[in-house]
Formats: sequence, C-alpha cells, structure tokens
Amino acid sequence: MDSAPPRREPSPHWRATTSRLLLGYGVFFVIWGTLLLGSIYWETTRYLAEHTDRDLTHQIDHLRHVDRAHLAAMLDDYIALEDTSYNAWGLFDAQGRWINGDIVRLPPALKIDGGPIRTEARDIIRQQALPNVEQLHLIAAHLDDGNVLALAHTTGVTAHVGSIIKHALWWGLSFTLVPGLIGGLILNVGPRRRIRQIKLATQAIMHGDLHKRLPISKRDDEVDRLATIVNDMLDQIERLMGEVKGVCDNIAHDLRTPLTRLRSQLYRVQQQMGEDDPQQALVERCVEDIDDVLGRFRALLRISELEDRRRREGFVDVDLGETLQHVHELYAPLAEDRRQLLELRAEPGLIVQADPDLLFEAIGNLVANAIKFTPDGGTVTMSATRLAPERARIEVADSGPGIPVEERHAIWQRFYRGEGSRETTGHGLGLSIVAAIAKLHDFELSIDGGEDGTRIGMACAVNPP
Amino acid sequence: MPHVLVIEDDEVTAREIALELAAHGISADRVHNGDEGLRAAHAPHYDAITLDLMLPGMDGLSLVKQLRERGITTPVLMISALGDVDERVRGLRAGGDDYLTKPFAPDEMAARIEVLLRRQQPAQTRLRVGDLELDLITHVARRGGRELSLLPTEYRLLEFLMRYPGQVLTRAMIFESVWGLRFDPGTNLIDVHIARLRRKVDTEAEPSLIRTVRGSGYRLG
Repeated sequence: MDSAPPRREPSPHWRATTSRLLLGYGVFFVIWGTLLLGSIYWETTRYLAEHTDRDLTHQIDHLRHVDRAHLAAMLDDYIALEDTSYNAWGLFDAQGRWINGDIVRLPPALKIDGGPIRTEARDIIRQQALPNVEQLHLIAAHLDDGNVLALAHTTGVTAHVGSIIKHALWWGLSFTLVPGLIGGLILNVGPRRRIRQIKLATQAIMHGDLHKRLPISKRDDEVDRLATIVNDMLDQIERLMGEVKGVCDNIAHDLRTPLTRLRSQLYRVQQQMGEDDPQQALVERCVEDIDDVLGRFRALLRISELEDRRRREGFVDVDLGETLQHVHELYAPLAEDRRQLLELRAEPGLIVQADPDLLFEAIGNLVANAIKFTPDGGTVTMSATRLAPERARIEVADSGPGIPVEERHAIWQRFYRGEGSRETTGHGLGLSIVAAIAKLHDFELSIDGGEDGTRIGMACAVNPP
Repeated sequence: MPHVLVIEDDEVTAREIALELAAHGISADRVHNGDEGLRAAHAPHYDAITLDLMLPGMDGLSLVKQLRERGITTPVLMISALGDVDERVRGLRAGGDDYLTKPFAPDEMAARIEVLLRRQQPAQTRLRVGDLELDLITHVARRGGRELSLLPTEYRLLEFLMRYPGQVLTRAMIFESVWGLRFDPGTNLIDVHIARLRRKVDTEAEPSLIRTVRGSGYRLG
C-alpha cells in the first residue's frame, strides 16, 4: 500500500550505545589485564631465574672445594635442601665421562667453570630422578682432583609461578567479563524496549495521529530528555498544523458567503435574460464555475468536520452487502453511460459497525473515482469479502490505467491529482474524504494493482459469523 | 398567496430571503429574535417558517420544540451556519421539516420552501401530471396509455418529481429525497439518472415533460 522509499534498517545487533560501550570497555579490560599480569609474570620469572643462577654458582663454588670424602654426603644434603624433584647433581671425569649422579651427560653448550645455562632436561638427567621436568638450570666446575661436578636446578618453580599467574588472569577475566556481559545485556533490554515504544509512537505520528506523543518514563534519563525535546517539537508542529488547517478552513468558510452572493446575483441575471440571449451560455458557465469552487470549499470543510469528529456514538450495525447494493444502484447508470461494466460481488452476512451514511459516501466516492478513471468500455468491480472471522475487505477495482507506485501514498492528500488526470474534471478531494471517513471508522486503506488497473481496499472489523 | 414567517436575526439574510420568496410569489414577514418568533408563529395564517437556529433570546431548536409541543404543525425550514451532520439530525428530531446550511443559494431556499408548502396536500393514491400518471398503490406508471417499465430507483425519482409538478427541484433536494443522502455526489450523477428516466418517459412524438432549469435543477411539467 504505502510506498515510501525503502529506508536502511539498522542492524539488529549492537544497536544500543551501551552495548558498544560495554564491548569496547571489555576489550580494553582484557588487553590491560593481560599486559599487567604479563609484566608481573615476566618480572617474576626473571627474578627467579637470576636467583636460581646465583644459588647454583654459590653452591658449586662451595662444593668444589669440599673434601672428596665428604662430597657425597654434602651432595645428598644439597639435594635434600629442597624438594628432590628440583635438584640433581652429576660427577664426571676430566674427559667428561659420567661417574656418578642423576645428571648423566653434559651438554656441549655448557662451559666448565663458566656460568649457569638454561637447557632442555631431556637426555641430560635420568628420567626417574626428575620426572616431568622439561627445563633446568645447569652449572659445572672442575673439582680439585680434575673431575667435573655438575649441579642442576629445575625451572619448576618458575613454571608454577607462571601457571598461577595465568590462572589468576583467566579467573579474573572470567569473573569480570561474564557478569559484565550478562549485566550489559540486561541493562540493554530496558533501553531497547523503550526504543521500540518510541518507534511505535513515531510510526503512529507519521501515519497522521498528531496527538500521539513519545512515552516518557519516571527515570528522567537521557532517553527521557530526548523524548521530552521531541514531544515539545511535536506540540509545536501540531499547533502549526492546526493553524494552517484553521487558516485553510477559515478561508473556505469566509469565502463561501461572498461567493454564494455572487452566485445568486448571477443566477438572477440569468433568470432575467431571455432563453436565447447570446450571453446566456457565458453566464451559465460562470455559475457552473462558482458552483465548482463552492463544491471544493464544501468538501474541504467536510473533511475538517470528519477529522474533528472523535465520537463513534452514531455507529450502528450496517450490512455491507446492502450498502454495496445501494451504491451499485446509484452509480450503475453512470457506468452504463460510459459503457462500463459495474460488477458487484458481496458475501452475505458481513455486518460492520459504521455510520451508514458515511460508509455509503466513502464507497460511493471510490466507485465514482474508479468510473472516472476507467476508460469507456472498462470494468469496475465492487466487492466485500470476509478475510478472517472478524475481518472483511471492501474493494473497488477498476480496469483503468493504474496508479504509479510512487504516487500511491499521495492520492489521499487534499487536492492531489495524478499526472494522468489533469484533463478529467473533479477537485481531487473525493479520496481525501474517503481517507477521513476510513480514519474515523478505523478502516485500513490500501492501494495495489498494476498497469491493468487499480484496486483500492478498505479492511474493516466485522461481526463474527 | 402563501405566507411565510422568516425568523432570522441577520438583517441582510432576512431581506434576501424575503426578496427571493417574493420573486416566487410568496409573501414574507420578518422577526429578529426567538421570543418574537415563537409569538408570531402562533398566528394561524403562516403556511411555512424559515428559522435560523442561532438566535438571540430563545434558540431555534427550543423554539421548534415548543411549537410542536403546542400542536402547531406549520412546516419549518431550519437554517444554520453549522454544517455538522449531527446538528442537522438534532434539528430534524426537534421537529424541523428541512435543513439548509448557510451560506445557501436563495433559489435553493425558495425551492425548499415551495416543497414544504405543497407537502400538506391530502394523501393521494394517484398522481397525475399532463398525460403522465402514477399509481402509488400498484406502482404502475403510464404516459398516455403506454405503461412505463421503471426500475425501483427510477420509480422513486419519478414519484418525487410528480409530487411537486411545476416546481423547481434542485439536485441536492432530489438526492436527499430520493436516495436519503446528503453528501455531494457531483452534478453529473443526478443528471445521468434524470436522463435515464427521461428516455423512458419521453418519446420523440411527445413533448418532454422533465425540463432542465438552468443553474438550478429540474422541473416536471
């Protein structure tokens, strides 16, 4: 029906500002938390590695000078100093061949009497001695007798600290982000619902219900402030529209009196002229023109009158079939004159709540309009069909040239006349009257059809069968 | 000569009404407020009343109500600046016989008054205008001896025309009386109906009975 140009609908996701803010904040928080804990992790492991290396250097300096007789006992003590799973030792001869201990091989990268290195644990120590160890710090030094002593300390503590920090990061982020996101979604529900309400309200306003206002909650938040501003604007617009309409109505109203006088004077002149006076035709045309103007004013004032009526007291049960039958009787001769076929198809038993005269006027206007715009020999079909148990559609279809899609929304406006209809008579107010009557009755108007004709429909509530 | 009482507070309108009625051979007395109007309306020699609904003193609606309560049946044409449908319904319910919205064409007003004056004829079962005859009981219409076959709408239209022979009937009056409707159907629609009726009533040999009155409407006979 209404064919406003298609508008881009915003994507349904991340519509709300809060969502976007929350997402941005979440990302920032994750990066910041990771950086913070990462630097703590890095500093800690560096400190622990230095500490281990210093210990190893210290211990090997001490042990290399110990008497060989006590060395074995001292080494066992060294192991026992900490958990056995952290420390290991190995004794090699001057050629680097293994003599004793859990360290079974010296990696080539290790400099004897040099500083500690960090290396893979595999192949270097006996698996049974230090299971599940991947990396270790290793140092080696010549003993007084020329043999080589190697000491190892695993990186287990460092790895443990790392995993503690990773866990902390994981839990910390989970505890912050998950409730944050859930909370954000919950917070979003409110604003979204309100946006939906505002959307509904504005749609009603756009469809002509200028009395409607945007809903305002008691919270007085930013949405409410905005809604208040828009409502103030709507007040102003409604007032201005009222003024414009008032001015139009006043012009129509006030001009009627002098025009009526002018008409009656012309009419008197016409009566006094002889039938065969050469001026007769001229005066008659003047009278017709004034009648035309007065007809327009009458129609304008009639629309205003209909628009101002808010009451439905005059509504009674009206049989659609009977009404269509009467409209058909009234307009059939008009169609016949144009050699058009005026068809009537009405289901029986369709009862609608309506003002019978206004309903007749609306359907009559539609039929008159259809007859006017259908070429000679065409067909105009009026019908009433039940769509649902409590809904029916009155339709007037013609085989005329059709109304271009882009003009359809405009035809209900006052004085609108289609591009192709300039040469036909009429003041372009008939359909506005239909629209006003439909609005009064809550009927839903629609226009469709193509080049083979136009179908104008009024959907209305009917009594159930 | 019929007498009409004009109850109208606007001097210009009152004079216009009286002038137009005089042109139709009807004499008019003018009063300018409701109370005077009610008193004057009791005089038995008035055949019809034109009544402005918005009057100083007693308003038009109360006036017509009181008249009817007192058993005075003089036909009343109500004239109002309010075009509202409800206003009209209220006026007719209060006892008015016809309703006209200001501003009105004087000839339209006069035509309506003439119809009101004729309305008090005794009930008839047969209408006759020239050689045209309508039986109101059998619904048979004849011209000369020839029976006319009329559709229901055509019958009602002919009956209305025949009830007021020689009298100008405007398109609005025809639309109101025959179809009971008051919206603006466009001049064309009534003309088409009249043309159809004419084709059935007139033949080439006979003089046309339904005449067009320029700028106004139609007249039978």
